[in-house]
Amino acid sequence: MVSAALQICLAYYIISILDPYIMSWQCLNRPIVVAPLAGLILGDFKTGIIMGASLESIFMGISAIGGSIPADATTSSIIAVAYTILTGADIEAGLAIALPIGTVMASIAGMFTPIWASLAAYWEKLAAECNPPKFAFQTIGFSCLTPLINVVILFFAVSYGVEGLNAFLASMPAWVMTGLGAATSMMLAVGFAILTSMIWNNEVGIFFFVGYVMVAYLGMATLPIAILGAAIAITMFMGEKRSIDLKNSMAASAAKTDEEDFF
Amino acid sequence: MEKKVLTPEEKKVLKSMFFRSHLVFTSFNMVKMEANGFTITMAPAIESIYKDDMEGKREAYLRHQNFFNTHAVPFSFIAGLAYAMEKEHKEKNSIDGQTIESIKAALMGPTAGMFDSLFFNCLRIIAAGIGIGLCAEGSILGTLIFILLYGVTQSIVKYFFVNWGYVYGTSFIDMVFSSGLMGALTKAASVLGLIMVGAMTAQMVSVPLNWTLNVGQTSVVIGDVLNSIFPGLLGVILLFTLVRLIKKGARPTQLILGIFVFALVGAFFRIF
Repeated sequence: MVSAALQICLAYYIISILDPYIMSWQCLNRPIVVAPLAGLILGDFKTGIIMGASLESIFMGISAIGGSIPADATTSSIIAVAYTILTGADIEAGLAIALPIGTVMASIAGMFTPIWASLAAYWEKLAAECNPPKFAFQTIGFSCLTPLINVVILFFAVSYGVEGLNAFLASMPAWVMTGLGAATSMMLAVGFAILTSMIWNNEVGIFFFVGYVMVAYLGMATLPIAILGAAIAITMFMGEKRSIDLKNSMAASAAKTDEEDFF
Repeated sequence: MEKKVLTPEEKKVLKSMFFRSHLVFTSFNMVKMEANGFTITMAPAIESIYKDDMEGKREAYLRHQNFFNTHAVPFSFIAGLAYAMEKEHKEKNSIDGQTIESIKAALMGPTAGMFDSLFFNCLRIIAAGIGIGLCAEGSILGTLIFILLYGVTQSIVKYFFVNWGYVYGTSFIDMVFSSGLMGALTKAASVLGLIMVGAMTAQMVSVPLNWTLNVGQTSVVIGDVLNSIFPGLLGVILLFTLVRLIKKGARPTQLILGIFVFALVGAFFRIF
């Protein structure tokens, strides 16, 4: 089982680096690509391709919108394909095994999210050094290291079963898990606070709350908000334009009067 | 607007930005999301614009280290536009840093929604529909067609987008600048930017309070009470506390560590 687990982990690692980190298509990590690739690595290309079709149909509707990276379809597909090829089980059996492994991976990886987030301050300092090769090397290198945590979890889950990992999760005090979850959801406020402090302007600051209310009370999506916002902004632009034009024409007529006085 | 002819250097920078714009999710994190990818993409532009101006360069890098999040395809359009704005900022000083921030902030929300619908919810389904049929018969062609339709098209669109962002961005800024309306644009951009940041704050920032006060027989869920006053009140309070601290000169490291400790202590006393 150990050598099979190593192969699965290799397939998982290659795919998670390739997409989204290198290509950002969120295309190569779809089951229809992942399953044939896993099949190729595990030595049964044909089964991989056929399973890719059924796995893609299963996972097609499951989506993560707005920047969060969908991983479950990828992990589940790899595990399902690997089990089918290595043990001769059918696709349902493979998916049944994939589900608890995926859940454990998500909860352990979730514990690291606030830790990765706290590196944001380091990246900022690094960017300020104005050394782009160093910045690119460290950020990309870091992206290649983070999937290793999932790889290790996957390895133990496949070779020794998920019971041990579940026992580890259960042994953690509940408040640590809740605390890390709370930290993750509040950290985004830091990013937004930096952005807000950059574009804040006392004269028009109240418009922050216009956008806020459109979502919090009216439940609007971003595109309609952007259209209404653009209408407000264009109206404001025209108003400013008129006052600038007026100022210019006044200055021009003042200049004219000066000229007349001169003659 | 007259069509701008690109110099060899601009072409080189745009080409490099196109390749780099594939690194959208590089060290993606929950504080600034795609900021690292944006910084990497902007690096060739910033290097070519600022050259020896270390102070300007530093400011530009920090500007593009700010929170950024959108779909990977319009990412390259906004990067091209940011290149145009940085160039105008340095060469003619016509557009200020705050306006660059505002325009980026105004564009990220709506483009994310638009392109998620276009690519993720539409093109992906079509491509998968064609691919699944072929794969079910055991043909790898299905996978290849899926990659071609859903993956490679993204890169093609990205290539045009980074160029359009730069060319149209430059001519638009030139037009506004020559008609003396930069002040008006700055104000309009900050209004739109603030509206979008407010909207995104309401969507994303939350304080997961889970605190129940037991007073005699009745119990009061504090989070519900606060939300009935103003939805997401605690999130807004947290945000503006952080803004105040930043204006007073607090470092991001301190804020992040503070939140970490605050969350763990809060969880220990069961308020989260």
